[in-house]
Amino acid sequence: MTMLKPPANQTALITPAPAFEARDIVKHFDGVHALNGAHLSVQPGEIHALLGENGAGKSTLIKIATGLYSPNAGTLHRNGETVEFANVRMANRAGVVALYQELSIVPTISVAENILLGEQIPNRAGLVQWKTLRRRAKERLDSLHQKIPVSQLAGELSPVQQTMVAVARALAADARVLILDEPTASLTDTEIRDLFMVLRSLRDQGVAIIYVSHRLEEVFELCDRLTIMRNGETIVTKRVADSTINEVISTMVGRSTGELYPDRGTATATVALTVENLHGHRVRDISFTAHAGEVLGIGGLAGSGRSELLRILSGAQKHRSGEITVDGSALPNSPGVARTLDAGIALVPEERRSQGVILSASIQDNIALSNISAVSSLGFVSGGRIATIAQRGMAELQIKARSPRQHVGELSGGNQQKVVLAKMLARKPKVLLMDEPTRGIDVGTKAEIYRLIRHLAAEGTAVIAVSSELPELIGMSDRILIMHEGKISGEVAAEGADDELLLSYCYGKPE
Amino acid sequence: MIMTTTAQATKTAPTTTPARSIARLLLHGGTVFALLALIVFFFAMRPDVFLTFVNVKNILFQVSILAIIAGAQTVVMVVGDFDLSVGATSSLAGAVAASLMLTGVPIAIAITVALGVGLLVGLVNGILIAVVNLSAFVATLATMTSVVGLAYLVTAGTTLFDLPDGFNNLGQGRLLNIPLPVYFAIVISFILWGALRFTTIGRRWHAIGGNVEVSRLSGVNVRRARLLAFTIAGLVSAIGGILLAARLGSASAVQGGDNMMFSVAAVFLGMTVIKSGASNLGGTMIGVAIIGVMSNGLNILGVNAYVQQVVTGLIIIAAVTLSSLKTRQR
Repeated sequence: MTMLKPPANQTALITPAPAFEARDIVKHFDGVHALNGAHLSVQPGEIHALLGENGAGKSTLIKIATGLYSPNAGTLHRNGETVEFANVRMANRAGVVALYQELSIVPTISVAENILLGEQIPNRAGLVQWKTLRRRAKERLDSLHQKIPVSQLAGELSPVQQTMVAVARALAADARVLILDEPTASLTDTEIRDLFMVLRSLRDQGVAIIYVSHRLEEVFELCDRLTIMRNGETIVTKRVADSTINEVISTMVGRSTGELYPDRGTATATVALTVENLHGHRVRDISFTAHAGEVLGIGGLAGSGRSELLRILSGAQKHRSGEITVDGSALPNSPGVARTLDAGIALVPEERRSQGVILSASIQDNIALSNISAVSSLGFVSGGRIATIAQRGMAELQIKARSPRQHVGELSGGNQQKVVLAKMLARKPKVLLMDEPTRGIDVGTKAEIYRLIRHLAAEGTAVIAVSSELPELIGMSDRILIMHEGKISGEVAAEGADDELLLSYCYGKPE
Repeated sequence: MIMTTTAQATKTAPTTTPARSIARLLLHGGTVFALLALIVFFFAMRPDVFLTFVNVKNILFQVSILAIIAGAQTVVMVVGDFDLSVGATSSLAGAVAASLMLTGVPIAIAITVALGVGLLVGLVNGILIAVVNLSAFVATLATMTSVVGLAYLVTAGTTLFDLPDGFNNLGQGRLLNIPLPVYFAIVISFILWGALRFTTIGRRWHAIGGNVEVSRLSGVNVRRARLLAFTIAGLVSAIGGILLAARLGSASAVQGGDNMMFSVAAVFLGMTVIKSGASNLGGTMIGVAIIGVMSNGLNILGVNAYVQQVVTGLIIIAAVTLSSLKTRQR
């Protein structure tokens, strides 16, 4: 009858080992740091929010946590023990499972098969024991209090039911650390309530949940603690009860913009583009004007309709209703890219490698592609004129390449982006649309692109640029429109713009 | 500015060992090398026959129709699609021309109508694929099936013969002792080559084959360009089919069928010839030559025709494996 407790037990009581921990994680791609000292520590029985702006490194950290990437430095720990995940399977075996929005279910097979996917399918001599399969799947769904028919095709379920099936599968695989990436993006309010109920009950059963979301209200309603990342680093981890939304926003944004951006110019009174009551698939009731000489930034969260707006303006996507007027003349309905290019609107698209350049073709063939009528007569292309237009573009944009005949796939990201620009600038557009103009580009080339944008504006082009990065949006623009769920939720002058105000517009929360 | 960057970046020649450069030669020049090897092999086996003027002329004559149809296939494959109906279309065109002539329609009109039929089949393919957005596989498989059926209807399931001499001369006549189809094949190949290389539509086809989305966002009318590619393929296939009927002096519903497989094979072989691995007319012609030399050589050696078909398949597998090694190396 000793009064002393065993010491090991005592320490365990004071600091239970985190269910999952990532320490000092460093990850770089081609020399660019995506993560530079990221930490994340999640206790069993906790819902932990992982927050940060786009590009802060959240997704990279999650991919490392689930074995999709391996870190360049740093360690992962599960219940206090160091672990290494060479692939997703290993992470899943260790109980770490991530649910992504779209990849989480197989729509063409039944709910039951989805839930037991990746496990030994109950069979006798190779024949599937459907009864056993369905019973096991049903048990899983019952434990989540879900009434979903297990024989139905998973693709026929509602979004929230699909999420539940994915959760059930994770639990069937005995997940103890569950990572959810924007799980509520396509759910209605009542469906979100259902999901939260399930997540809370999982938490009470001791599951550690990492919850990645841009929706701060939900985070404050659901989560116990939060970790904020910025520029690949973990800035802070604290209890949600000790935080406020405004404080979280200002921590996410941080402060610092260097000499990256050139001085602003002066917009002219000439209207280059007018958009009136534009409705598309996602965008709703968009009206604005852009002036010659102006850089108009468009911000908003992913999925807010920014890219769709640019695609509609460029003629790449049809719109339902509304008027687009370039330089005084109205565009016909659904004009197509060729017509809008002729009218003077050019688009530098978001995905350079899949939308901007043909990687297997030469620089000059890429540049010629948007300028076929300029380099041909009577249906025949002139090699000389292709070379001339390409060399002019390469010189103007200082594209670093061996020759105009070099394949674009061999160039760096920055130079590829310059090829896209050269292609479009050869058309002398009155309105230049740019979707994420500096994504995946090194800082030096970024500065060059900002100077170029400013130079084009000074020459009388109206530049409309979408960016997910607030500092970039503020630094390069004269005026900023923010979109939220397909609508323009706010307009701000870039000069001295308040990050927090912009971000609150992004979340659709006018101050 | 441009001059300095270009000069700066002049590529330093990579240092290579002899062994490695031989390996590279085999990889990059593999297909041409295979053609030469086949020629040397057959020459060594039958020096008295293989490389004689008469036999070379024979080979050219035998491959001329395939060359035309493979040209049609190349156009479609440059755009990134393929056309399973080229063989069937050629049969139908031959059958239409033959049956019209047998009912007394003048040769020129019969040929024009047959060409129109080929154009129409190509147009239907183009509409199904570019406008209705079916996959090229499904659409051309379906049209192939229907077109073969039409060809049976036109020929009533028989072989049509007793065609006018003026018509047969197109396939059997000679100029400077060389069969006319050889000239036709050369002229058509040159036209297609020039169209692919020097015309705006040719550049658009290449761009679409490189990346559809980029082309669309660059202002290329992708729909129209694909439609045109299939239409041209139909027309050119019809030319091939008409010449085949003239050469044989007869028309049946199935006589062009083999050319579909062989045309795809020739284009695949041709894709291995150039570095980028894209369809190209020059390469296709080398592919056609390989198929022609092999079939002729094996004939001369007395090898069974069915064995020839087995060997053709093996050659394609070898060539494509070789070219995938090449891409992996890059």
